[in-house]
Amino acid sequence: MPSLKDKLRMIDAEPRRSEAAHPAPAPSEPFYRRVDRFPLSSFSQLRHMRAPVLREIFDLTLPAGLRPADVLFLDTETTGLSGGAGTLAFQVGLGYLSGGEYVVEQLMIRDYHEEAAMLAEVARLTARFPLLVTFNGRTFDVPLLQNRCLLNRIRPDPFTAQHADVLHAARRVWKLRLGRCTLQRLEQAVLGVSREDDLPGDQVPQTFFRFLQTGDFGPIERVLEHNRQDVVSLAQLFFFLCRLYDQPETACETADLFAMARAMEKRGHTAKAKKCYRLAAREGTRASAFAALAAREKREGRTQRAARLYATMLARGDQPVDACEALAKLYEHQLKSPEQALVYTRQALLLLSEPSLLPGEAVQSRRNALQYRYARLRRILAGEAKQQEDEP
Amino acid sequence: MNVDQLIGRLRGDPAFMQNVTQWKVLPASEGRYADFPPTLDSRIRTVLAGRGVHRLYTHQASSLRAADEGNDFVVVTPTASGKTMCYNLPVLSAILKNPDARALYLFPTKALSADQASELYELIEALKVDVKAYTYDGDTQGAARKAIRQAGHIVVTNPDMLHSNILPNHTKWVKLFENLRYIVIDEIHTYRGVFGSNLANVLRRLIRLCAFYGSKPQFILCSATIANPGELAATLTGREIRIVDNNGAPMGERHFVFYNPPVVNRQLGIRRGVVGETRNIGGMLLSNAIPTIVFAKSRIQVEVLTRYFKEQARDPYGFSGRVRGYRGGYLPSERREIERGLRAGEIDMVVSTNALELGIDIGSLTACVLCGYPGTIASTWQQAGRAGRRKDTALTVMIASSAAIDQYIVGHPEYFLSQSPEHALLAPNNLYVLLSHIKCAAYELPFEDGEAFGNAPDTAQFLDYLADAGILRHVGGRYHWSAEDFPASEISLRSATAENFVIIDISNPAHHRVIGEMDRYTVPMLLHENAIYMHEARQYQVEKLDFDACKAFIRAVDVDYYTDADLNISLAVLDEFKEKTLRNGVGVTLGELKITTIVKIFKKMKLDTHENLGFGPVRVPESDMHTVGVWWTVPESVAASFGNDDLQGALMGITNLLCIVAPLYLMCAPRDIKVLYQVKSPVTDRPTIFLYDQYPGGVGLSEKAYEMQEMLLEHALDIVTYCGCENGCPSCAGPVSEIGENGKANAARILKELIEACQA
Repeated sequence: MPSLKDKLRMIDAEPRRSEAAHPAPAPSEPFYRRVDRFPLSSFSQLRHMRAPVLREIFDLTLPAGLRPADVLFLDTETTGLSGGAGTLAFQVGLGYLSGGEYVVEQLMIRDYHEEAAMLAEVARLTARFPLLVTFNGRTFDVPLLQNRCLLNRIRPDPFTAQHADVLHAARRVWKLRLGRCTLQRLEQAVLGVSREDDLPGDQVPQTFFRFLQTGDFGPIERVLEHNRQDVVSLAQLFFFLCRLYDQPETACETADLFAMARAMEKRGHTAKAKKCYRLAAREGTRASAFAALAAREKREGRTQRAARLYATMLARGDQPVDACEALAKLYEHQLKSPEQALVYTRQALLLLSEPSLLPGEAVQSRRNALQYRYARLRRILAGEAKQQEDEP
Repeated sequence: MNVDQLIGRLRGDPAFMQNVTQWKVLPASEGRYADFPPTLDSRIRTVLAGRGVHRLYTHQASSLRAADEGNDFVVVTPTASGKTMCYNLPVLSAILKNPDARALYLFPTKALSADQASELYELIEALKVDVKAYTYDGDTQGAARKAIRQAGHIVVTNPDMLHSNILPNHTKWVKLFENLRYIVIDEIHTYRGVFGSNLANVLRRLIRLCAFYGSKPQFILCSATIANPGELAATLTGREIRIVDNNGAPMGERHFVFYNPPVVNRQLGIRRGVVGETRNIGGMLLSNAIPTIVFAKSRIQVEVLTRYFKEQARDPYGFSGRVRGYRGGYLPSERREIERGLRAGEIDMVVSTNALELGIDIGSLTACVLCGYPGTIASTWQQAGRAGRRKDTALTVMIASSAAIDQYIVGHPEYFLSQSPEHALLAPNNLYVLLSHIKCAAYELPFEDGEAFGNAPDTAQFLDYLADAGILRHVGGRYHWSAEDFPASEISLRSATAENFVIIDISNPAHHRVIGEMDRYTVPMLLHENAIYMHEARQYQVEKLDFDACKAFIRAVDVDYYTDADLNISLAVLDEFKEKTLRNGVGVTLGELKITTIVKIFKKMKLDTHENLGFGPVRVPESDMHTVGVWWTVPESVAASFGNDDLQGALMGITNLLCIVAPLYLMCAPRDIKVLYQVKSPVTDRPTIFLYDQYPGGVGLSEKAYEMQEMLLEHALDIVTYCGCENGCPSCAGPVSEIGENGKANAARILKELIEACQA
């Protein structure tokens, strides 16, 4: 009769196994550590990283004296993406500035029993830095490490520092232009770096499992290389963002400026927002930037300025229907000139009646709104005329 | 007429009474009460007093006492006996004493959790305290989930959610696990078979995590009346369980009527249809405005009956809201509205599948009509329990269908009334189930060397196996999860395999729709290419069966034939657990079987005449299943006295009888087990009858059959002996055309031999 193990083998999948090759480097610590240093020449100037700038980018309140050397960059490689209790970070990459260089320390477990020691070291390092910077760490890396600390009974929670997630900040600036904002995509499009022979992220878990079974360190070198590049790119992107926000005029793409302006307007940094809109008021984003600026001026009560901006748009043929409609509103409500409002409303209706690229439904509802406005203005003007007749 | 007058009239009506095989009156019982125990929080007492509750029923008081004494316990009382108080009171009391304390409530369905949570909210609201109770299930919004994880005192959920969401993400539930005081599981009688075996393992995982976080919760369980609530509770939880069954709730007089529709064709033994009779009797109750629940066995029956009753109840304005249907597949909001209408007394009649059998609060109705025998004694009493207020008379009419079980029950009402309800069976150590859950457990927390998984045997061997297979990694005295997969997603708690086939209707090319599901063991029989598949009384033909993608594509057709696939089953014995050689060389064995099934051809049969119109090939892969079975071998001395045909007829007769009898005792659906015979079995080399669990790894049915074999066989003999037919009929050994002229007598003879051998 078969043993229990035989039965299990019969009902379950095939075992996975293979041969051993290059062994891991000999242990000197209770986990693997590798340290690399990078010159800062490839980084944007660090002086742009100031507390007020970080506030604009990340909405974080940090001490005024915060120095670039106070920032810790972190990125993990994990055994899966499910995020449940059975997924762990087998490798943690940590970057920081020291002695005029960018230092990347990579910690890795060579087997599961080394995890507690590695996490303790991660905890020790993170405790030294008041600001943590990650890419999507808010939803992935940090909760995962917190899970692992909890499971390894490392308490209290070592991740209490302020946390800047570059993914969200990057999306605000580049989503408009680039669409998907993965670190690799940003690296290419923003930093102009291209990776050669990079290990695709989805192969990372299997590479680690294979290493555990075979002890072959070769493929793991590729994981480390991949992670190292991530940690370097993360820091470069962070300092790039700092410079961009500190000196928006350095931006090369108006779409980025426009996206930044919107983000800052939303956060209430209106002066900076207006500056960015003005910088963005050219090329492809000219019309949108003018419209946004005009709306801003109107909201701030500078009606004449707003009217001038809309008039410019109209003169240039930038979103002329919008401009006319906005002018009609301004003249009706703020500038109290129904005659002028009627002129612009009529013009908007005329523009709309031209064969247009707008979808039929959208045109129809706008036309309805404009006709409603037109009728009201006519009534008002008729009433005024009647009053004038009655009064003398 | 009120119900008492109606009962009087029916009893005096000979036309009705001639179809009644038994009219059982269960006398009224007084309530039995006990004072509030001093440990009950005074605020709760005040609120209850405000609702006019100044004493508890005896079973409620016993529950509080058991909770105070730190016991795990199961409350076993009938429907509508105030069971929820048995857990709400101790739980709220504990949270009022210690605001950090947490409780987890498990209900088998989402509908039930919603219903019970609302009752809990009412109580909490009346208490005016800051106790947060939330339902956490698939419908819970993302934003709310975070709040529940952090702050929920009482988390109300279902086993599936616990299994696939809460346990694998336990680190997000630290507060709950560190402070878990009570685990409440209601309706535990529903956790039998595969579902129960899975839940037992989910609970092993839960307890394991609690131990990691340093809590040791107490169990409070509730069950309907079944034969073995204590055993079931103990198997589910792996703990010793105290039974609280001193029901103190009062009960009015109850009438239970067994009704067999009259014979309309004596030659063929055909009776009037069960749906028509249900329509007549239900209609009578409806026209007297007696609040009634009608239980039908299928969704179709529910729809058909609802239509009949709605027609009858329609007022001059066309409004028929007094009659409602209720079944799975209705929208949750619609169901809630019907439940509310029932409680408020706005609905006179509801026609339901067994969906309303569970403890959803619909108030109490006066009459209950069962359209067909519900299948088990336990579930019959559950359904009948829906009728009956605490003081007034209640009436239940069970109308038998022509199915063999129904005819047996209505023909032997004394059997039904004297029999204790069935055993709920489960097998938490089923290899498949256990292996899957050990994977999940390892994902949740590494196993330590020497650690046992609850009371499961041989944990170490499972772990070593998984380590060999490269799924776990054994290092530093622990077994770590070492795979990318999320093991919980590979198990469905409610069926044996996660891979069900979906049935897709492609009749309308613009709109393919999924109309159903089928488990992979049944697929080769019913969904092979060119099969005629029936769904909601419509015919479809299977156009394509994609075995790898688990999809069957069907198209509506209108043909005058049906298809019947020939299933070839071969058996091999993998292991023998228990074996007895009885007197006369009769052998009975319990063991592990490998069942290989293959379908090679199907027959086309003309509707009505059942003529064979031809054959077609079936191309599906062979399928293997490892399961547990029991088999009886007939000794050569007995076999030799029959001719070959007679022997075959007799064995077939016994097989048919066991198919009828076994589900009665094992509290399972007829399709959960398979009985078959081999005249000269390659396994035993003798005439042999096999009975096995139709689930991979088995769910405990065959073990039970082995234990109670004598009872099973005697019961089978009873049926064949007392059946009024001459040479066999579908209600006993089978029709003469199948078993032969002597089949009935020969089946009885062999049964007697087997029974005598058992008794020796």
